[in-house]
Amino acid sequence: MGLPAYVAKRALVAIALVLVVGTLNFAILHLAPGGPETIFLNPRITPAARALILKSFGLDRPIQEQYLLYLEGMVTGNWGLSYFYTESAFNVVASRIPATLLLMLPSLILTVLVGILMGILSVRRPYSFVDRFLSSFAFFFYSMPVFWLGFILLTFFAVTLSVLPAGGMISITTTGFDVVDYLRHLILPMTALTLINLASFSLLVRSSMLEVLDQNYIVTARGKGLSERLVFYRHALRNGLLPTVTMLGLFVGSILSGAILTETVFSWPGLGSLTFDSISRRDYPVVLALFFIFSILTILSNLITDVVYGVLDPRITYD
Amino acid sequence: MTDTSSASRPYPARAATFWRSYSRNRGAVFAFFFLVALVSAAVLANYLFPGDVEAPDMSRIMLPPSFSAVLGTDYLGRDQLTMLVFGARTSLIVAFSAGGLLAVVGTIAGLLAGYFGGKVDGLIMRIADVFLTIPILPLILVIVSLTGPSLLNVMFAIGLTSWPVMARVVRSDSLALMKREFIEIERVMGASSRRIVFKHLLPNQLNSVLVYTSLSIPVVILTEAALEFLGLTPLSVSWGFMLNVAMNYWIRGTWWMSFFPGLAIFATALAFYFVSEGLKEALNPKLKRRRESLVAQIAERKK
Repeated sequence: MGLPAYVAKRALVAIALVLVVGTLNFAILHLAPGGPETIFLNPRITPAARALILKSFGLDRPIQEQYLLYLEGMVTGNWGLSYFYTESAFNVVASRIPATLLLMLPSLILTVLVGILMGILSVRRPYSFVDRFLSSFAFFFYSMPVFWLGFILLTFFAVTLSVLPAGGMISITTTGFDVVDYLRHLILPMTALTLINLASFSLLVRSSMLEVLDQNYIVTARGKGLSERLVFYRHALRNGLLPTVTMLGLFVGSILSGAILTETVFSWPGLGSLTFDSISRRDYPVVLALFFIFSILTILSNLITDVVYGVLDPRITYD
Repeated sequence: MTDTSSASRPYPARAATFWRSYSRNRGAVFAFFFLVALVSAAVLANYLFPGDVEAPDMSRIMLPPSFSAVLGTDYLGRDQLTMLVFGARTSLIVAFSAGGLLAVVGTIAGLLAGYFGGKVDGLIMRIADVFLTIPILPLILVIVSLTGPSLLNVMFAIGLTSWPVMARVVRSDSLALMKREFIEIERVMGASSRRIVFKHLLPNQLNSVLVYTSLSIPVVILTEAALEFLGLTPLSVSWGFMLNVAMNYWIRGTWWMSFFPGLAIFATALAFYFVSEGLKEALNPKLKRRRESLVAQIAERKK
């Protein structure tokens, strides 16, 4: 199987996964007490609006037809109406995506850079003081709730020292998008999110590098009399980082979970705080739409990861 | 367990051997006693702090830590230390029950996949892949917010979505065991599937099941705390929900309202992590040496 066929196969798997998530959504809707009717209907709406919504979701029809209608709605963007915003849940969710990316992407870049650095420092001398210190750092933050870390940072930097803003993405007083203002707001949430993500990422870099350093071609390179520096940075680093960086795609799910909690603490106006608000408002259509968006984001990044890996690593056979 | 010489020894000797290697990890010993103390405090909470935990006392609102309230009081004037000890119940109940559930489901799925192989294996691993791909916290959020935030729903939502890693571990070990000669001989001698699974596959893996269960409990604790922090809580007395409440007050500098509940979550999760490290070293020295092969994991995904 060549590369195009491999990509096509991966894409099919991704589409199947999206279908599974849609089905899961549908199942949860019907398992909920009261069923989809209670979930989709705002108790305060008029009978006419009620009839309209019931019709648009086909809730008066047999269940198999409802299922197909539901999937069709997922494709066309008919994800129900938000009770709170009284507009399409799809639009409500879509409008929050940029803010989440403005937090996630800088944090992701920082995680990759620092994580690689930490991994290199660890494996230069395995089981040394530096290695053990960095590993302790990793499981320390692995066990730490990101929202608690957020509180600590906020209390210290925003209340005690009051040097950084206490939440939000841009100040209310600024008009338009002020980059300096955005960066000042970014520091604390990005630090919290990055520290938590670094925990698992730096361990990944470490184990991947250690594995590569065990390979025969490293022994060969050393045997050829190459300098340790050349062996480490040319032979080991390149090969060791490849699986690690692509593994990031598989991490997007947990990074998203971290972002939900971080955004909530720092009232960052993205998908995460929308999740928190929608849960407390019992705005179920938005909650479901959020889950669907999170799943699509994760599935997409998995797809990209698989494809990139397939292109970069000639050892992968497309079977 | 795989070592027959230790299996034939009387139980006290085995326990002593276990403790000797476990206690080599001082962090693990400390963590174990911390957890014992925490469980005891949670069980005896009614006797340690008699009276209604949730009764407000408007004369003592948001007091910082002092001699009369060691960890301060919250926005309703309730003693935070008392709240933390009662809150430990929620965390520990969910930790053990959801942890147990994911261990049972994961082990059964892994054994089925490893024993039968072929189509059964393919089906189970595809289901596991789905749970490994879609983001788990949002999924649990949806399930719990729609089915209602009861302790039971939280437990099932976490347990039934977090088993795939366990299933993978059990499956790969089962597959390896199935290729061994003693299983081959059992088969030739006409042993039933039940005998092979319960007499060989399962006992040989109980150690790694135990290790991975204790390793997944920190994640369970953090997930449960996150759910409560996000407001999906069945009980008002829980660590996560204390942090949810603290969110409205931290701007006034009431650091003790967020610091101590978070510390409790962190310390408990970390303690389980240390215990799992200790168990790993004491129960299965092989596990320590076997590095999780990243390249192998990715190569496996391509199949």
